Amino acid sequence: MESADILALWKSYSLQLDTSLALNRKNAADITRLKVQSLLAVMKPVKIFTLIAGILWVAFLDMLIISLFQAASPFFLVSAIIQVLLTKLAIGVYVYQLVLIHQADLSEPVFETQRKLAALRTSTLWVTRLLFLQLPVWTTFYLNTTMLTRGPLLLVIIQVLVTLLFTAAAVWLFVNIRYENRNKRWFRLLFAGKEWAPVIKSMELLSQIEEERD
Amino acid sequence: MNTTDKQERFLTVLQAHKGIIYKIANAYCQEAENRKDLIQEITVQLWKSFDHYDSRYRYSTWIYRIALNTAISFFRKERRRRHAAELPPEDILEWADTDDHRETDDRLRQLQLFIAELKEMDKALLLLYLEEKSQREIAEITGLSETNVSTRISRIKGILKQKFSTIKN
Repeated sequence: MESADILALWKSYSLQLDTSLALNRKNAADITRLKVQSLLAVMKPVKIFTLIAGILWVAFLDMLIISLFQAASPFFLVSAIIQVLLTKLAIGVYVYQLVLIHQADLSEPVFETQRKLAALRTSTLWVTRLLFLQLPVWTTFYLNTTMLTRGPLLLVIIQVLVTLLFTAAAVWLFVNIRYENRNKRWFRLLFAGKEWAPVIKSMELLSQIEEERD
Repeated sequence: MNTTDKQERFLTVLQAHKGIIYKIANAYCQEAENRKDLIQEITVQLWKSFDHYDSRYRYSTWIYRIALNTAISFFRKERRRRHAAELPPEDILEWADTDDHRETDDRLRQLQLFIAELKEMDKALLLLYLEEKSQREIAEITGLSETNVSTRISRIKGILKQKFSTIKN
């Protein structure tokens, strides 16, 4: 079929729609009575719960650090401070992205709007990267100087190995969790849940949009 | 302008461009329930933007932008939860007669199948081409340069032609 035939076919389809399709004015008018929803109102309950849990967690850690500052082991303090800073950063990035996505202007040109939205959704990966970066401190917060200087050598060696392993994993994940690796098997496995579907779809969109630029 | 006037004007714009909304929803959602949800979501987004409509552009440009942007980033489950409490799943667009709306033309059915198979961005470009929008208008709606629009559309037309020739054979 030639281009002209395809266009003629589409035109007859459009004409058919014009005569057969009717606007239900009552249902459409109902939409005009919708209130503008806040970001909080459109968020999934599980996301709100996670966000609140995260905020409560950093508040709890902040209080713990302040109240135990004089008494706690330096291992605990440093681990807790690193943990709390990274969690705060992750929460900040997450909220910032949500606000920007919520404020997106859909009346702007399609490719630019989709590029912005897809880039924002994709940058949710930053939250994951920051959270993975905390891995090593979960192997150090309980340590104290006595454990390391007077404890059994084998335990010390195991401790050091575990911390090194967690550090290596954290750094590797931090460096490698990025858009360019989206087609790798480990990446697909890590982000296999349905809650990641919008992020994965956004990555595919981004790659389509980037093709336009090539 | 009071609320009733604004609502009336919105419904008139919607009525005049209902075909665009349906065609875009149909291209991005093949399943009837999804399509109904998408049409409702497009209408919600159009209403939300109505106050900020920029009169430098035609209504159709504004509608294409919002409808395509909504369709491309449409996540049905999220949307259902978002409006379920306020909006019953009612049809915004209905068939005036029940007999005549099925696409009886095999070629049209085939064309719609091809459109459905395309990637999101290519789908948007092909729809605009089929609507016989000028390259300048397509560039305005998509934000691509006119040269880029031309190149991309030639490529998509090539794919389309090839697909139709495969069927013929």
